[in-house]
Amino acid sequence: MRLRNAMLAVLTVGIALAALPWLLSDFLLALALSCIMYAGLAVSWALFCGATNYLSLATAAFFGLGAYVTAWGAGALPYGLSVLAGGMLAAAFAALIGAAVLHLRGAYFAVITFGLGELVRHAITYYEKAYEGTVGRIIAEAPETTTVYWTVLLVSAGAVATAFAVRESRLGLALRGIGSDEERAQTLGVNARRSKVLAFALSAFFAGALGAAMAVRWTYIDPPTVFNPFIGFQTVLIAMVGGAHTIIGPIASAVVFSLLTEFLRLQFPYLFLTLLGLLLILLVLYLPGGLASLIERWRIGDRWRWRRGNA
Amino acid sequence: MREALLSARNVSVRFGGLVAVDGVHLDVHAGELVGIIGPNGAGKTTFFHTLSGVLVPTAGRVVVAGEDLTGLPPHAYASHGVARTFQTPRVFKEMSAEDNVRFGLEFAGRTRQHPHDAFDEAGTILEFLGLADAAALPAGGLTPARQRLLEIGMALGARPRVLLLDEVAAGLSHAEVDATAQLIRRVRDQLGLAVIWIEHAVRVLMNYVERVAVLHQGAKIADGDPRQVAKDPAVIEAYLGEEGGAERKAA
Repeated sequence: MRLRNAMLAVLTVGIALAALPWLLSDFLLALALSCIMYAGLAVSWALFCGATNYLSLATAAFFGLGAYVTAWGAGALPYGLSVLAGGMLAAAFAALIGAAVLHLRGAYFAVITFGLGELVRHAITYYEKAYEGTVGRIIAEAPETTTVYWTVLLVSAGAVATAFAVRESRLGLALRGIGSDEERAQTLGVNARRSKVLAFALSAFFAGALGAAMAVRWTYIDPPTVFNPFIGFQTVLIAMVGGAHTIIGPIASAVVFSLLTEFLRLQFPYLFLTLLGLLLILLVLYLPGGLASLIERWRIGDRWRWRRGNA
Repeated sequence: MREALLSARNVSVRFGGLVAVDGVHLDVHAGELVGIIGPNGAGKTTFFHTLSGVLVPTAGRVVVAGEDLTGLPPHAYASHGVARTFQTPRVFKEMSAEDNVRFGLEFAGRTRQHPHDAFDEAGTILEFLGLADAAALPAGGLTPARQRLLEIGMALGARPRVLLLDEVAAGLSHAEVDATAQLIRRVRDQLGLAVIWIEHAVRVLMNYVERVAVLHQGAKIADGDPRQVAKDPAVIEAYLGEEGGAERKAA
């Protein structure tokens, strides 16, 4: 029941957002696109990392892999298929590295996922230089902005719907158990390795698909652009600031972040990174549970007052 | 003689030069309630870790219902019907008490049926343990004593054939210990489980189990009827060893 309501909400919001290209200027549509992309990235990141408390910094690697699938397939693969293939390649890669490194926890896991991302970036740089004789690729025929927008919207809505479905499923329960006490979950019958690899791959699929979908926005693609660690960090920050154990939190935070970044960049072009950094420090210091904890706090306070009022 | 439900065969655990468990044999049959006692550092909990797959023994085998599970991950033990509690309660703090019990039902207990289907729902198990009123509360907010009970509930949710209890009576009042012991016997009788119960405090356990094994410095030094074990000179020596040793030195 809860799941059906969530799915209906995703569908309704998705349809409403699909109408934006007719309502917004090009500039505002680009802004909406950025919001929706980061919402999709943050939600899919939180799908695995939020529940299990594993800190993955591999988002940029998945995103970049997806983008390269589009770049390699340009001209040969239709856009929609590139997006699908980008997601699948990222998922396959995540399953492979997940099987190898998901027994690590905490800082070790974070560092190794970051390192793996760098490894992929350098491997692609080397491959392109040595075998293709190029440092970057030009995507000559990009689809319309509206097509890109709808595709990104579809993938992000898919990520949100998947996150809701996983939360209500046995996989979601297993992931929460792993996040709370992995060994205890295992002694109650959870195949921790399988659950983690599955969820990690699922989360990578959406990052890869978003990378593949967004790739056409850059006419020129090279490893530093699409494997930009900033995309990965931004995703993690958005999810954490929003509240990584929720689904609404990262979405709200993605919108706030994207708008704020844009606003600060336009108003204070020289100070915007400093201001963003300050804001982050304040948030982490005073709202460690994320934006979602504000709502929870308000709700609990509300219920408490209500109970007291009745007593 | 019928086959043991859980069989530890010559199990040893070494940490570097320290022998924590030293060639322990233990066969437990369905319906048995076996206590394991031993002074601090006797290797009781380490032995439990090997029986539940949390720790792979350095030597020896662990056989559950005829199947050798040595070296398999903990979830394999759980899905073969071995469920355990931990000495310090390890409940899922953020989850509700009900979800804590449901956890085992959703995973290890999913495919297996109890001979009696009384414990097929989280609600029934909570009620049996007297935790029904806490069902919706986050488990981390319960008192330590209730978290211990919830640990038992989590293990029961896994629909065990073998229940391993690690010091579930620690920190409880005399009345609470008595209630817990009655509860454990009732579970055993209703479900025909094999129960192994570790306790540091000897007196607690002796009254409630039909068979007791004594670990000392990792080795099993006695195994049998509690009244006879209590008279065993080796057991007395193990428990009073320090004082005895001091006397010998003085002499």
